[in-house]
Amino acid sequence: MTVQGGGLQDGNIEISAEPRAIPIDASVVLRQVSKSFGPLVAVSDIDLVVRPGITAILGPNGAGKSTLLRLICGLAKPTTGTVWVAGGDPRFDDTARGHIGLVPQQDGVFERQSALETVTLAATLSGLANPDTQARRALNTVELDPDLGRPVGTFSKGMRQRVKVAQALVHDPTVLVLDEPLNGLDPRQRQHMIELFRRLGDAGRTVLVSSHVLDEVERFGSHVVVVAKGRLVAEGDFHEIRDLLDTQPHRVRVACGDARALAARLIRSDAVLGCDIVKADTLELTTDDVRVARRLLLSSSRDLDQTLRAITPLDDDLESVFRYLVGRPS
Amino acid sequence: MTSSRQIKALYRALLDQQLTKSRLLLITGFSVLALVLALSIGSQVDTENRTEAIVGFLSVYGLGFMVPILSLLFASTTLGQLVEDETLVYLWLRPNPRWQLALAAWAASATIALPIAVIPLAAAAAIGTSGDGGIVAATALSMGLAAIGYSGLFVLLGLVFRRALLWGLVYIFIWELFVARAGAGAARLSLNTYPHSVLARLTEIELPLAERSMAAGLIVPVVLAAVSVGATAWWLSRAEIA
Repeated sequence: MTVQGGGLQDGNIEISAEPRAIPIDASVVLRQVSKSFGPLVAVSDIDLVVRPGITAILGPNGAGKSTLLRLICGLAKPTTGTVWVAGGDPRFDDTARGHIGLVPQQDGVFERQSALETVTLAATLSGLANPDTQARRALNTVELDPDLGRPVGTFSKGMRQRVKVAQALVHDPTVLVLDEPLNGLDPRQRQHMIELFRRLGDAGRTVLVSSHVLDEVERFGSHVVVVAKGRLVAEGDFHEIRDLLDTQPHRVRVACGDARALAARLIRSDAVLGCDIVKADTLELTTDDVRVARRLLLSSSRDLDQTLRAITPLDDDLESVFRYLVGRPS
Repeated sequence: MTSSRQIKALYRALLDQQLTKSRLLLITGFSVLALVLALSIGSQVDTENRTEAIVGFLSVYGLGFMVPILSLLFASTTLGQLVEDETLVYLWLRPNPRWQLALAAWAASATIALPIAVIPLAAAAAIGTSGDGGIVAATALSMGLAAIGYSGLFVLLGLVFRRALLWGLVYIFIWELFVARAGAGAARLSLNTYPHSVLARLTEIELPLAERSMAAGLIVPVVLAAVSVGATAWWLSRAEIA
């Protein structure tokens, strides 16, 4: 796990030292890639190696996630640096591009075509032998009826999203790039898609998925790339990133009998940095040592003859990791 | 074999995006107006001057307005619309050489522009001249050449410029109608001068802008279309796709 480029608030960082040669198992490699639009730097000096499996790209809106994915697909030209995908530069190498399946963020689809026509076109352009059969298979995979003859322009947002996923999957790409792929899907479809992408990752495909919805990213998998202000600020296992940040304060919500009395007792300890009384029976404490704070909670509640109904960590999720890494609320 | 299958798929997809009800209405309007005006000229002008009047009308209405404007309307949106609604990515990202997309876009545009340029205007020539086969053939050839050239040019324009329709109209009305008529040098850079020359030489009627040779009139629009397809492919290979 690596944290790069001054992402931590206190500047206490470990710099990534990836080997300069392309790793043999890498599907996507970015070397010192930057992308500027006039004076605006959208992506800055990113070094990234992506291997088969699911990699989630996390960052707030405007962080540079979509630009990063566009660079990976060859849709945008890097201002500096090189992009290598499945053996070539996707901007100029047809074969490399043929290994990519993309679900773009934008809503645009071929409005006048049916779902089957759209996906069959994708299959034909990818050079598949039986485009119609392959298109039907892809549409079935995303749970869309291939014989639904009406134009995609009349589809709901969720159905359009599934058409986009089907056209990206139809040629069984080795690198699947998904930019906010769950937009517009209902909870059941979201779960279905997450399982589908996980299966593809488990089957050795490289699945790159971006999202600003933290819950989504956490469900996709534990390998996370955090992007903020165009820079890659951290990369690795989500829980490892969280562990690295153990020096950062943790917040814990405590449901008890009398929050005010318990807070008065807790605040005397050096391990407790602060206590907020949320309700008469609920408080949130900030600590730099969760274990000590937990022991203190148990002993204090016993001394005060209070029952602890729940102790809930508030920051063992991506949102808190993200907040620590980029130094701003998401 | 695979290439032709992919070009055909691109061509059909692009063609399918083109024909909308409002555009069909516009085509019908231009066509009906051409026929009515030709009929009116044919009935009002005496026999001796009829051919000259009809060819003059075809030059102004057909080559000056109808063919360039309808070609612009269809060709500039063939790829331009895909850029606008951000669907070009679905074609661009596939493992096909760029020339295939450029060629398919030109072919889809020309498939629409050719019949809407040739059929109503050749019919107008026939009505206006009481079926003079020479005039009809000259009209069909010159309008067809114009449609081929303009289709190539405006596919490229639609890809490169955000407001291609506006820029195309500026080209048609400012450059072709005014600047090109101001001097021989500017006229050479006007596509309109070449089909005009073909129409003038085949009908043996003097027309403005018709100063090129027959060979140039036949070759330049086709070459321009080919160069435009090449430039479109080049642009596609270097453009940033949304």
